[in-house]
Amino acid sequence: MPIYVGGASLLAVLFNRAISGIAPVADASSSQSRADLLTLGLAVTNVLTGLVWLSIRPKSITPVEPQGVECQEIYSHLPESVVSEILWVWESLSAVTCCKSLVIVYDCQCIVQIGVAAKSLNIDEPFAVDAAKLMQGSLYQGVLKSGAQSYMANLSLYPGRSELPFLPSNTQAVILQPLGDRGIAVLGGDTIRGFTTSDQTWISYIGEKLDATLAKYMSSMPSVVQE
Amino acid sequence: MTSLTTKTLLLNPLIQLKTSLPLKFRPKIASISARLDNSQQQMNLSVLRFTLGIPGLDESYLPRWIGYGFGSLLILNHLLGSDSISAAQLRTEALGLSLAAFSITLPYLGKFLKGAAPMDQTTLPEGAEQIFVMSENVSIAQKEALAWATYVLLRNTNTTSVLILTQGELCIRGYWNFPDGVSKDNVLDWFKSNIEETGLSDLTDTLYFPQTADAEFWNILPQGTQSVLVQPVLLGPNPSTNDMGNIEGFFLLASSMRYAYNEKDRAWIRAVSNKLRSKN
Repeated sequence: MPIYVGGASLLAVLFNRAISGIAPVADASSSQSRADLLTLGLAVTNVLTGLVWLSIRPKSITPVEPQGVECQEIYSHLPESVVSEILWVWESLSAVTCCKSLVIVYDCQCIVQIGVAAKSLNIDEPFAVDAAKLMQGSLYQGVLKSGAQSYMANLSLYPGRSELPFLPSNTQAVILQPLGDRGIAVLGGDTIRGFTTSDQTWISYIGEKLDATLAKYMSSMPSVVQE
Repeated sequence: MTSLTTKTLLLNPLIQLKTSLPLKFRPKIASISARLDNSQQQMNLSVLRFTLGIPGLDESYLPRWIGYGFGSLLILNHLLGSDSISAAQLRTEALGLSLAAFSITLPYLGKFLKGAAPMDQTTLPEGAEQIFVMSENVSIAQKEALAWATYVLLRNTNTTSVLILTQGELCIRGYWNFPDGVSKDNVLDWFKSNIEETGLSDLTDTLYFPQTADAEFWNILPQGTQSVLVQPVLLGPNPSTNDMGNIEGFFLLASSMRYAYNEKDRAWIRAVSNKLRSKN
């Protein structure tokens, strides 16, 4: 906005000089020239401030609709309370963040697959999550070793993309949240850099809570057959 | 001479470059790519800033100083000018003075830009004690849920004090101060009686006071509170009864900062309040 003010006054000063018939010589000899120079200086300051403001305005990024099939698959042997907690997590994530797909793998099996998933080859079914393959992959191992959340803000830049075939192919951002040392939650978002830092902190706290809940119930159950 | 390659730098925000020019009083042009953590959106900024390289000088006020300086020079020029001041000169001076006035107000306007200044830090309320109390007759599961919810709210948002009332049971955590004569045991009763007076339990919509206001329930909040958020715990819309959301209680969050809860924070707080819904 100051650009317009500055630019317009710049032109106005030059115009003024032109129509008053004064020779276009920029020297500080006459008081008229001095006044002109000062005004020019102010106009330039305004233009530059306007430029600084332009760069402060955030760049708006459009979300990309994920391509795939809607699904809501939760491992059937979980107790009611755990299921409702998982549903709460999904409800919060999809309402507050740009998360459009959620996959939770715990104790070598896929517990949850909610949201938009990639289509299986040839059929209209969601792509099944191969938990064992995921857990052997480098993404999971890396996250397990560091114990911290991994945020891939622009998924197309990461080669590890191939380890997540169950996410829609045009997922823009992914957060990998370790659940203790026994599982991982994969969140797929529809906007590049769509998860803010506050989202990330909330997700890590929710991950800890989920891990506590799942650990309690998984340990009280006999070992389950991998599906 | 200043090279105008800085113009191309504007288009490529990821380049970090500082050109320092040999002449002493030329402005340094720094191009910084930064992420502001305290703003709503994740912004990848390319900020072209003029800095004179003097530590401690806030360059955003530069237009103001320039406005004052040039404006006074203009007036000086006018007074010292030759006897006949032409109309053209008067026009220029008028234009110059209005520009100077505009420049002076620019930094003030700039504060309202998205992503401009960071917020002040949280200050702890004075004379307040840190407490964590919960009503006695809550189930273990509910206890865990309340403890986790209060913990997460205190850690993740700018909250200094949190109070949750759900299904008639209270959980209070954070910094609160109470009048003398209220011992640790009576705390719950004191809160309960005060809350009944305020009628917050019947709230159906989220209340947000970003700045200190004369709300009626101010007496239970710790001193130094500047923003308050009250989030009712709603049951989802029940299709069998035509009731849009039975209210089960509310969350009361107080912070010592103004404008402490932005859109995102409030959305997350709503999500956490949904966690404490009873399941049926």
